[in-house]
Amino acid sequence: MPARSLLDVDDLSPAELVAVLDRAVAFRDVLPPRDLLAGVPVLNLFFEASTRTATSFTLAEQRVGADVISFAPGASSLGKGETIADTALTLYGIGVRVIVVRHQQSGFARRLADAFEGHVINAGDGTHAHPTQALLDLMTLRQEFNRFDGLRVAIVGDILHSRVARSNIVGMRAMGIDVTLVGPPTLLPREFGAGGVRIERDFDAVLPHVDAVMMLRIQRERITGGLLASLDDYTLRYQLNGARLRSLGGSAMILHPGPYNRGVELTDDVLDDPRSRYVAQVHNGVFVRMAVLDLLVNGVPVAA
Amino acid sequence: MTTLVRGGRLIDPLQGIDAVRDVLIENGFVAAIGEHLDANDARVVEAGGAIVAPGFIDMHVHLREPGQTHKETIASGTAAAVAGGFTAVACMPNTEPALDSAAIVSEVMRRADAAGLARVYPVGALTRARAGTELAPYHLLADAGCVAFSDDGSTPRDARLLRNAARYAADLPCVFISHCEDPDLKGEAVMNEGEASMRLGLDGAPGLAEDVIVARDLLIAADTGKAWHIAHVTTATSLDLIRWARARGVRVTCEVTPHHLAFLDDRFDDYRADAKVNPPLRGSHDREALRAAVLDGTVDVLATDHAPHGADEKAQLLSVAPVGFTGLEIALGAYALALPELTLGRFVELLAVNPARILGVPGGTLAVGMPGDVSVFADRPWTVDARLFRSKGKNTPFDGLVLPRRALATIVDGAVVFEHGRVLPREEVTA
Repeated sequence: MPARSLLDVDDLSPAELVAVLDRAVAFRDVLPPRDLLAGVPVLNLFFEASTRTATSFTLAEQRVGADVISFAPGASSLGKGETIADTALTLYGIGVRVIVVRHQQSGFARRLADAFEGHVINAGDGTHAHPTQALLDLMTLRQEFNRFDGLRVAIVGDILHSRVARSNIVGMRAMGIDVTLVGPPTLLPREFGAGGVRIERDFDAVLPHVDAVMMLRIQRERITGGLLASLDDYTLRYQLNGARLRSLGGSAMILHPGPYNRGVELTDDVLDDPRSRYVAQVHNGVFVRMAVLDLLVNGVPVAA
Repeated sequence: MTTLVRGGRLIDPLQGIDAVRDVLIENGFVAAIGEHLDANDARVVEAGGAIVAPGFIDMHVHLREPGQTHKETIASGTAAAVAGGFTAVACMPNTEPALDSAAIVSEVMRRADAAGLARVYPVGALTRARAGTELAPYHLLADAGCVAFSDDGSTPRDARLLRNAARYAADLPCVFISHCEDPDLKGEAVMNEGEASMRLGLDGAPGLAEDVIVARDLLIAADTGKAWHIAHVTTATSLDLIRWARARGVRVTCEVTPHHLAFLDDRFDDYRADAKVNPPLRGSHDREALRAAVLDGTVDVLATDHAPHGADEKAQLLSVAPVGFTGLEIALGAYALALPELTLGRFVELLAVNPARILGVPGGTLAVGMPGDVSVFADRPWTVDARLFRSKGKNTPFDGLVLPRRALATIVDGAVVFEHGRVLPREEVTA
């Protein structure tokens, strides 16, 4: 039987999710001895470029004492010749026991995990899932509000292409958070309104009523596909800027998975706003990833 | 050579027969139908407790030869056909090279003869190399044996070219067969657009991608008077468009596949390509509309879109894995599974009578003097084990399912080419 993997947030039970966050908080308060994963070979396999996530995972792996191998293969080197199954067999044979994988295609982590005898951690697969990002977002929310149940969170922008949004929807719903998605119909099709998630087109109407707003990055190539008319046209309705900041509650929180497009989904004054939690998010990310590694490899006792 | 199919329940809608009858075939043609016919020295196929029908024709099959014989050959594909209960198949032209010249079509027919199993009716390409830019030589192809024209696998983007094609080929009997998917609306889709594709982060094709091309092609059919066949219909809207056109006198027929009747777009949670197919498996609204349309007569034909691939090819990532899967050897059972209300008379119409009429080929009835092509089958449950397929393609979403109907014996041109689970090429029969 393959070892346990984290492909999306719902691979964790709600109790386990809370346990991971608790463990991450404990690691943040006091760094653990660097032997939690002593001698465990961990491979960072990033088919898609990454600065923050790759750095964060590498640091997390080093802090738990793993043997870290990082490799950024060309996008096409797998799936052409060697099959995923053959690659998985080879890597396990070499001795790799944990693979942290990012790939441009949705489902790659799942396919790898189905073939690999060790643990797989999904560091982002296509537009599908990015569970450790969702966990660090939940950690950041809990840090501020000390609860999940009944929190109101708006996720704004290009939901269709966002693995961060998908994983956050799964994780937030599991924690009882009230999720509202905001965006134009091309980037937020009505099919997202399943499982108790609200869809709104009017950002201004939503803004005063949320505890947190998560601004997703808008990529310029969405314009050529006819999904957006122009950045100006988009920002008129959906940009978080100085004017909209005034209608956001004083104790509300601004989240962004990064990297930003300044002047597109948000303006400079948003980043300077005291309600912005970008630095807390990336800081928490390292501890969440340490906790996930610890859970998968060592198991974490779940509080009753 | 004489063959007697004895004691089966003969279903022959064109003759109005639904009764226990013997069928005697002499020298490749039906010689007599009656009760308790004398066997003499005939090769006897015991059909007691089984159903006997005019030979089933699968008018949508990919035999992959020439050019892709690692996926299928004419020999392996026709073995799968007779094992699945089919006496004839129409093979699609998306081979390498495409079936766009008389020489290639003649070679396909020669190899089909050499295989000595099912009859093979080539479908010629609609455009040269299926590139959508120049007309294929329709008269040469028809002379070589093509029974229809299609760019199956894709659709010509150019409506003007398609209209000209229909006008140019107007006086040929060969029907045009449309694969209806708008390439722009489909984009890079690997499955149906819906809640599942959104949740999984996979590109989905909307039903609209099919509907707009169905509408375009029906209007071109109306404009040109060309007989048209819509392959593998998958949406409720496309069915409505076909009804609309038919009510206005457009000569249009259509088919549905076993997989679109049986399955939904909920088979991608493991991100494997086993259920990846064009057009994609749809949602329940469309599937229920397909089932109803078979029962109400909107659908003329059941066809498999048998599309074999190597296991290694289907194991690739969803984005690059090829579309389609094998269908010939599960077809009869799959249709019965998806359509338990379908009468046997209608079943035979959908699999024999209508395909023969649409393609203009002999068959569809076992009237005296007709070719001795017979399908013998029974409603006996069996479990699909794709490893045992005669087809080189071992991939099907029906693998492991219990199906309620199966082929028992297949007779082509009076020769028993499948019986007791064995495929028997004709040389072996006559030796």
